[in-house]
Amino acid sequence: MNDMIGGHIVHAFNNELKQINELVLQLGEMGLDQLRRAVQSLEDEDPKAASQIIERDRAMNELDIKADEEIIRLIAKRQPVAKDLRDVLTVQKTVNDLERVGDEARKVAGLTLHFYDQDKHPPNGHMLHDIFRMAEFVEEMLHASLTAFKELDLPQALEVIRQDTELDEEYRAALRRLSTYVMEDSRNVGYMVEVTLTLRALERIGGHAKNIGGYVIFLVTGRDVRHESLAKIRTEIEAGNYLPG
Amino acid sequence: MSNSFSQGQAAVVEGVEVPVAVDKHAEIERSQTETVGEYRVADPRMTCRDVDVFYSGSQAIYNVSLDIGKNEVISMIGPSGCGKSTFLRCLNRMNDTIDGCKVAGSIQLDGRNIYDKSMDVVPLRARVGMVFQKPNPFPKTLYENVAYGPRIHGIADNKAHLDHIVETSMRKAGLWEEVKDRLDQPGTGLSGGQQQRLCIARAIAVEPEVILMDEPCSALDPIATAKIEELIDELRENYTIAIVTHSMQQAARVSQRTAYFHLGKLIEVGETDQIFTQPRHKLTEDYITGRFG
Repeated sequence: MNDMIGGHIVHAFNNELKQINELVLQLGEMGLDQLRRAVQSLEDEDPKAASQIIERDRAMNELDIKADEEIIRLIAKRQPVAKDLRDVLTVQKTVNDLERVGDEARKVAGLTLHFYDQDKHPPNGHMLHDIFRMAEFVEEMLHASLTAFKELDLPQALEVIRQDTELDEEYRAALRRLSTYVMEDSRNVGYMVEVTLTLRALERIGGHAKNIGGYVIFLVTGRDVRHESLAKIRTEIEAGNYLPG
Repeated sequence: MSNSFSQGQAAVVEGVEVPVAVDKHAEIERSQTETVGEYRVADPRMTCRDVDVFYSGSQAIYNVSLDIGKNEVISMIGPSGCGKSTFLRCLNRMNDTIDGCKVAGSIQLDGRNIYDKSMDVVPLRARVGMVFQKPNPFPKTLYENVAYGPRIHGIADNKAHLDHIVETSMRKAGLWEEVKDRLDQPGTGLSGGQQQRLCIARAIAVEPEVILMDEPCSALDPIATAKIEELIDELRENYTIAIVTHSMQQAARVSQRTAYFHLGKLIEVGETDQIFTQPRHKLTEDYITGRFG
């Protein structure tokens, strides 16, 4: 239990906060796992594995609802203030983002089904190359954002926010590369649309990881930085302006 | 620091609990020399500077400076024995009634030191009224409870004027509709919440500028509490209110500014919204989040 959660006179309050924080980590692990498996199913051209991933998304949805119920109960019972309130709000928002990570992973699995289920004609493997590259990058971002959440690690949270700009660059570059396949042969347009939607899903997962990084900064410092520039956030954190007290 | 303070034992002097260092937070507190946050306001009704309070040699309040603004509700919170009630009682010299109590520093009402030798405490306590934890109506009729103050302070010109004062005070206190047909009945026959509103009507009747409330809802049920809180919000239009409360939620609900006291020191003061979302001092944060107290 980190310092921000523990220490209440009422131990049950500590336990409840700990419980909702653990739900976030559980949901985060599931999201990461879903992403890894979805990308693997595409690499392995394995529609059966993809179906399982789509099925498992239901478990994430159930966990999402469970977390919301726990949060509502905690607010009603404990009326959290100050850092406890920030913690509960952060958990609530993070859960929301992680549930969407699950939805995006499901979309990636959907591509496997679309290309490899039964007698379909898969595209040239080169067209999928950027998906694997981006997926690796996004997985790293998501993992880092969850570590930042778990350890209240400001530099790590900042790094995820920085990585998102890099990811955006990667995404644009991938779209440009993809368009060359259509220029070569217009019959590739159907593949291009599907791959673009998948790249978009991965880009969104990166966006959710970035959001989680922003929530961690809010949780630790009390400052909402979602709409601040990275340079400004970094300068202010280094100057100690975002630190409480 | 007195012996009783440093030995960490409970001390009660003249029936008044004095601060005692018993927890790990005392160490943080000892290094605290200045109040965190802005203790001044642009338009103060009362101005307190460097206030120290001693009970028979034991110091209960250390160097507190705080402004109380016009038409604001300021709440004072803190653990038991932190000095918040002691400080509140300084504001209309209620501490004068305690033997061995000495107040140093300056407390001004509208620019005039209330501890000045020429200050008459009777009109002072009309200008700075007080509502206590336990409703304490006089053992008289409802009418007399409210009429008593204006009569002894010579505020009412005649019976009709007195009737008018009683009615408007009771209306402002949100009590009139409930009691207008039984003004000749004893005040002690009302419910707890009604009695407390009667005490507020009694305080209002003498046209105060400031109303001090010392845990005004702690003896009331939630509905009566809600009525008093609604009343406090309405009274703010015409009065300045300083309220001591053990309920942090109540402080968050009713006040615009919050002052956090700990072991006789004013640790932090600021906008209530800020104190309850982003307190700047660790002691404030730990207290309002229920980590000690």
